[in-house]
Amino acid sequence: MDGLSAFATAIAAFATPSSLFNIVWATLLGIAVGMMPGLTATLGVALMTTLTFRLAAGDAILILICTYVGAIYGGSRTAVLLNIPGTPANAASTLDGYPLARAGRAGEALGIATVGSFLGGLFGMLMLVLIAPELAEFGLRFQSFEFVWLAIFGVVIAGRITALDDPIKGWIAGFLGLLLAQVGQEGIHAHPRFSYGSTDLAGGLGLLPALVGAFGFAEILCVMKQANYETVRDAGRRILPRLRDITTRWWTVLRSSVFGTTMGIVPGVGEDMGAWVSYAAARRASREPQTFGKGNTEGLLAAETGNSAAVPGAIIPVLTLAVPGSAPAAVLLAAMFIHGVRPGPMIMIEFPNFVFEVAAMLFWASLAILVLGLALTRPMLHVLRVPREYLMPLVFVLCVVGSFAIASRVFDVWVMLGFGLLGFVLREMNYPMAPLVLGIVLGDLLDKNFRRAMVLSEGSLEPLFTRPISAVLALLTLAVVLWGIAPVRRGVAKLFGAGKS
Amino acid sequence: MPADRRGDLWFSLLLTALALAVVIESWRMPRLENLGVHPMSAPGLTPGVIGLVLLLLGLLLLVRSLRERRAAAARAAASAAPAAPAATAASGDGARALLATVLCLVYALGLLGRLPFFWATGLFVFAFVVAFALERPRPWRTLGGAAAMALFSAVSVTLLFERLFLVQLP
Repeated sequence: MDGLSAFATAIAAFATPSSLFNIVWATLLGIAVGMMPGLTATLGVALMTTLTFRLAAGDAILILICTYVGAIYGGSRTAVLLNIPGTPANAASTLDGYPLARAGRAGEALGIATVGSFLGGLFGMLMLVLIAPELAEFGLRFQSFEFVWLAIFGVVIAGRITALDDPIKGWIAGFLGLLLAQVGQEGIHAHPRFSYGSTDLAGGLGLLPALVGAFGFAEILCVMKQANYETVRDAGRRILPRLRDITTRWWTVLRSSVFGTTMGIVPGVGEDMGAWVSYAAARRASREPQTFGKGNTEGLLAAETGNSAAVPGAIIPVLTLAVPGSAPAAVLLAAMFIHGVRPGPMIMIEFPNFVFEVAAMLFWASLAILVLGLALTRPMLHVLRVPREYLMPLVFVLCVVGSFAIASRVFDVWVMLGFGLLGFVLREMNYPMAPLVLGIVLGDLLDKNFRRAMVLSEGSLEPLFTRPISAVLALLTLAVVLWGIAPVRRGVAKLFGAGKS
Repeated sequence: MPADRRGDLWFSLLLTALALAVVIESWRMPRLENLGVHPMSAPGLTPGVIGLVLLLLGLLLLVRSLRERRAAAARAAASAAPAAPAATAASGDGARALLATVLCLVYALGLLGRLPFFWATGLFVFAFVVAFALERPRPWRTLGGAAAMALFSAVSVTLLFERLFLVQLP
């Protein structure tokens, strides 16, 4: 009851003209960023973090969350109309959204995507209110040993899931990220590592310039590499979906919301998996699975509900364990630290109302995408008419300014450039970016806790495997690794297949 | 696909070398005994372990790439047909990526700091638009559009950041 009243108070607190103004423009900006291929939610949130860090914490985080929610939703516009997902999270929406558009039902599809996103976001927000305090309570039992496994498990599962056909590459990306986080003065004795006399390197590789580079500059290069894509399709006459389309599918909405939120909670695995898992589940549960991929509104609904439910899901571990549930959530984590909020298991003790404030922000952001999405889709489509050679240089300028803005160091711009080139090359070779980002975020956590754990156990690795929570995490990690080895998977399948017959 | 796998071989070699360097460097890191520090909290511990894991992953990737290369060579020999060269579209892609990279690097490393932000940005945006819009018809319109975009970018970013967000510009 206490939690609910705090939640209600927080919602009311944001109903001021200045907050509402921030909500509207930040969500609109997020939708625009999400709509445009080449601009991802991560980049949008990262750039907004660099631009808003002089604002008050509450305002800044509100803006970031609205941008995040808007971007994940905005990508559905181009997914439906152009068969190009505006962000990777909307890839599953192209499968049924685009056929619907081709059949002249673009407006209906856009409307379904909007309502699905709204409902998914609301469900995730409810889960945040219910789960986060409990998870934080559980997190208080974590000591150094458990945090070591949390970091390793996070990287391993993110690497496995984001690189389903080639997990080695996912793990390489993850551990590379962990390694890059070791550059600079380490957190226990302040000894500079891998800095070779450079004061800049001793300060470490900044997370935000790295993210802006890997998701901004790298993406710009990817976009400019391709030949031109076709221009905008008309949205058709009706933008509002039929209410029947949604109310008869409440089970799909619920199931997709659950899957989406769960995928969001898993470290490093975010909105795109939320969409894919929800889509796959909807197809499996459908009585007409063969219609999926040909313009089935249920598939579109499942995908968009799933990816929007993953947003609050990804924020849950950010708040309670300081482990990001997705790449944009990693930026949000960095932003919270910048603004003096310390996420982690102590959050319910140090900043007890913050969780409910974040939930309230998610509420307003979801409401904003419903209203703005239904009302403003047609005008916003004009944004897509801007040719990419006009837009990309402007984005690059923002990347440079954003990287520089944090600490006024030219070195941060070099980090941004370096990570951009690295990100581009890795992407060309099919390495996923999410584990790399997760690795960079968790590297410090791993380092400090591993050394502390070793000091506590006098060099013995035994507690890492015998303490109850550590043992569970260790087993989970082993299971994920084994699942990534093809012969093991085949052996297990044969075992179960033999058992059935 | 073939280019992807060839990249794997070189990358795995690079990764293995890097991982080995990291392990060696971590071993050489001071243990800080003179500061009375517990040996298990030595700075080189975590990078060393990460380096070992990367070494293992790099070697796995290397072995896999070599095996695939051998299999591909055997297939090519068996079919007695030469491997198809990369399509010309791919080289167009590469040229565009290179052009974009060069323009961006020249702006970020060359122009900024040497020219006032406004002029550096304007020049960069103008050059970028012209370079890529040359693929389109009607060049005069392109030049006009490029100039307009350059002006808009330079003015809006400068004003937005210096006045509104109060952020320092490079």
